[in-house]
Amino acid sequence: MEQPFVFNFLGLNFDLAGMIGSTLMAAVILFVCIWLSRKVEMKPNKKQNVLEYLLDFTDNIVKDNVSDPDAQKHLSLYAFVLFLFIWFMNQLGLFMEIKVGDFMFVKSPTADPVTTMSFAMMTLLLSFTFGIQKFGTGGYWRNYAEPVSFLFPINMIEEVTNFLTLSLRLYGNIYAGEVLLTLIGNRLAPSFGITTMVLAAPLAMIWQGFSVFIGSIQAYVFVTLSMVYVGKKVTKE
Amino acid sequence: MTFQTLFAASANHIYIGNTLWYLIVFVILLLLVKHYAWGPVSDMMEKRRQKVINDLDVAADNRKKAEVLANEREAALKNSRQEATQIISEAKVSAQKTSSQIVADANKNATSIHEKAKADAAQAKADALDEARSQVADLSVAIAEKVIAKNLSATDQKDLVDQFIKGLNK
Repeated sequence: MEQPFVFNFLGLNFDLAGMIGSTLMAAVILFVCIWLSRKVEMKPNKKQNVLEYLLDFTDNIVKDNVSDPDAQKHLSLYAFVLFLFIWFMNQLGLFMEIKVGDFMFVKSPTADPVTTMSFAMMTLLLSFTFGIQKFGTGGYWRNYAEPVSFLFPINMIEEVTNFLTLSLRLYGNIYAGEVLLTLIGNRLAPSFGITTMVLAAPLAMIWQGFSVFIGSIQAYVFVTLSMVYVGKKVTKE
Repeated sequence: MTFQTLFAASANHIYIGNTLWYLIVFVILLLLVKHYAWGPVSDMMEKRRQKVINDLDVAADNRKKAEVLANEREAALKNSRQEATQIISEAKVSAQKTSSQIVADANKNATSIHEKAKADAAQAKADALDEARSQVADLSVAIAEKVIAKNLSATDQKDLVDQFIKGLNK
């Protein structure tokens, strides 16, 4: 089994694979975004159309789930970048896995529960912030006791389950995709010499294609659920 | 600087530092994307939205204006048609009047001319008769004179005078 390359810095543990993957993908996103938005005109050109389509797509996710127009404006950028970031990180492991010895250096950062939990935490903290901004601290806590007061503990537990389901769904999907891809490539292909290797190639191709699809769906689901949680916090039940 | 590399023999490390790293990377990415792509593009989309709204408003306004103009034109056309009809009918009426007047005048004239001609003819007849009568008298006198001068003998003259005197006596 491959192992994460973990080092300790200022008392905190860091995993190099996640850092490299996320930084790489952030750079790619930035490059793509700048490339697509080099010439922004009133009559859109082709590149601008792509960017506007993406922006429309994430904006629609926001508008469908958040009814507060003030929050919509702030969340538009967040949803856009979050969607791109998670999508790119989901795809990274499909075409690039770099292993040195026993240690993983490049793989999908989202195939790691710590990564997905980080983003889930970010989203939930954001939803708390929006809720408190909208209703004030007292009103925010009172919303947990809605519609009836004995639901308070259940609503509290829901926050935890939201966090877990949001993060583990993404992790599970991407991790499973990578495991199966690794299995096909490392175990199935060399098992019976050249015949299985030939047979494994289309299988790997199909699974890769399917994983691209899964990665897109999961990025969409992650952003959608994030917006659902934020939307729930800014609307009175 | 306490930089230690831990080659993880057991994978039991929870690398909480990654969370921090993701947060930092994400925030930096957020700001850069906002500055380079999201900001200008969404600005432009908003501007385009405003422009479309504006254009639609202007188009609606123009259409309304055109409608008003067309209505006005139609009303004016109708009005002028009505006026023309009125003018024609007026002209017809006045022409009728004039023509009947002319006919009446002509009739009257003709009648008066006829009357006058009749009167003149009567007058001329009377004059001619008078003249003829006086001429006949003169002629008869002259003839009588001539007859008398030629054939009148003394006895005849005496008879005549007698007759005359007899006549006077009667």
